[in-house]
Amino acid sequence: MHPILIDVRRLGLYLLGWVPLVLLLTLGLGRGAAWTTAGTVFAPLGFVFAFISLSAWYVCRTFPIGRGSATVRILALAMASVVASGVWIAAGDMWISILESAMPGLRAGALYVDRRLPLLVIGVLIFWLAALMGYLVIAWEASEAAERRALELSLMTRDAELKALRAQIDPHFLFNSLNSISALTTTDPPAARRMCLLLADFLRETLRLGASSRIPLAEEFSLADRFLEIERVRLGPRLNVARETDPGASSCLVPPLLLQPLVENAVVHGIGQLVDGGTIRIAAARVDAGVTITLENPCDPDRPRRSRPGFGLELLKKRVLTQFGAGGDVRVDERDGTFRVEVRIPCVQ
Amino acid sequence: MRAVIVDDEPLARSVLRELLAPHADVEIVAECANGFEAVKAVNDLKPDLLMLDVQMPKLDGFEVLDLIEGDTTVIFVTAYDQYAIRAFEVHAVDYLLKPFSAERLTDALDLARQRIASRARLPEKFSSEARGQHAPLERILIRDRADVHVVPVDKVDWIESQDDYVSIRSGGKTYLKEQTLAELESLLDATAFVRIHRRYVLNLSRLKKIELGAKESRIAILTDGSQLPISRAGYARLRDLL
Repeated sequence: MHPILIDVRRLGLYLLGWVPLVLLLTLGLGRGAAWTTAGTVFAPLGFVFAFISLSAWYVCRTFPIGRGSATVRILALAMASVVASGVWIAAGDMWISILESAMPGLRAGALYVDRRLPLLVIGVLIFWLAALMGYLVIAWEASEAAERRALELSLMTRDAELKALRAQIDPHFLFNSLNSISALTTTDPPAARRMCLLLADFLRETLRLGASSRIPLAEEFSLADRFLEIERVRLGPRLNVARETDPGASSCLVPPLLLQPLVENAVVHGIGQLVDGGTIRIAAARVDAGVTITLENPCDPDRPRRSRPGFGLELLKKRVLTQFGAGGDVRVDERDGTFRVEVRIPCVQ
Repeated sequence: MRAVIVDDEPLARSVLRELLAPHADVEIVAECANGFEAVKAVNDLKPDLLMLDVQMPKLDGFEVLDLIEGDTTVIFVTAYDQYAIRAFEVHAVDYLLKPFSAERLTDALDLARQRIASRARLPEKFSSEARGQHAPLERILIRDRADVHVVPVDKVDWIESQDDYVSIRSGGKTYLKEQTLAELESLLDATAFVRIHRRYVLNLSRLKKIELGAKESRIAILTDGSQLPISRAGYARLRDLL
């Protein structure tokens, strides 16, 4: 459907735009004649051509810029303009014959007869102008579509990010925690209640932080503390935590739940695989304009490959890359039974 | 029923203990916090029932089953649902998902009682047989009286057949395991281990070069300097992989 005919208001605006053109046409071609005659002959013809010119848009659609050869396009436009203008003259002839028979006193024929050729030329010129407008409209539409696509893309990226965040709460963590609560309800009811509150706090914080785009590192660490406290109920004295945070580092802004998968890995693949457990060390320090976060945990070098961190680390690397580009860096290292991840990102405050 | 409980979390053991208490016929003879303890307890005490977690330090639940003797009835107790199919392949009577109810445990115990009453003998080496359909072996488990050795397959240099046993060579140490070479070979990653001789399976990454010996025989020279014979068929298999 034609972009102007699609909406009555657009058509109204379009015809309003033609008013000065029609006025110019009437005054220019009707010079020397009575203004009533000129007006009756040329004003209706002008608006007729307003409709004929709409067809230029279809020619533009059929011969778009950037596809096919320019010569073909120009030839097609030239032919279309001549045909359009010819149709206009034919319509003019009909209109004059009606006027001659209905109002012979107007002497419309005498005025019209030597205006046919200039009318044909004007028609061709106006059609070319209309075609130019058509190409502009198409270009504008294309840029609109590109913008919309870009917007959709950014929405998709955001969606993926949200999915990633949701995937970061390991359901087995919940099931194991619920099992701990189930055990505590009879042996130690106050501890069961404390565990429920810890779990509720952790879940609420995860949801809250996941909804923001950047959070202070301090909040990320406090979420990790909650998580580790819950895991400590489950694993008992096997799990120890040491944290060292440079005060300047805690105010740096980081993407939410950036470190959470690392902390989970340290428990599930590190401490959880060791009979005697060990200490998870988390540290953050300001280095130049950035912040360096390190996480270290003991691990069993002979553990099966299936219980090695894969997905969580990959996700972390991808997020650091998309959020910080070359400014971020993730290093993973395992030696002598110690697993170590170092995340370096610029410190935004 | 004499039962052994295996779980690395004290609270998980405590909820099992509590929910088993009303069942007068169940006597808990041992509680284990890891796979090593479980293997030792089962082989020493020969319980009727094993309540087994899957994810544990050192040995996981399936590896424990690989190392125990006799026909102990097994109920898996885990928070992970993805091992259920494998659990039934190794003839577990039931699979409890944490957290579970007292009623659910009662059902599982009923199944265990039926199994024990019917004395349905499990096929020998059932766990290895099931393992064959899964991903290649990652660690070889060797029981040596009370001890269990865990040898990651990438630390294995070569394996030699000794009739019904295999001797596994890893970093200068030799371990003896009751298994045929053909059976062990079928469990290993076929792109990393190759049967170079009727009696030898070689870890490909240990191969330094192949030398021609007397009478057109070939000898594999390993990175540590050891030499192993290569048979004609073994050489063909090697050539396909290299």
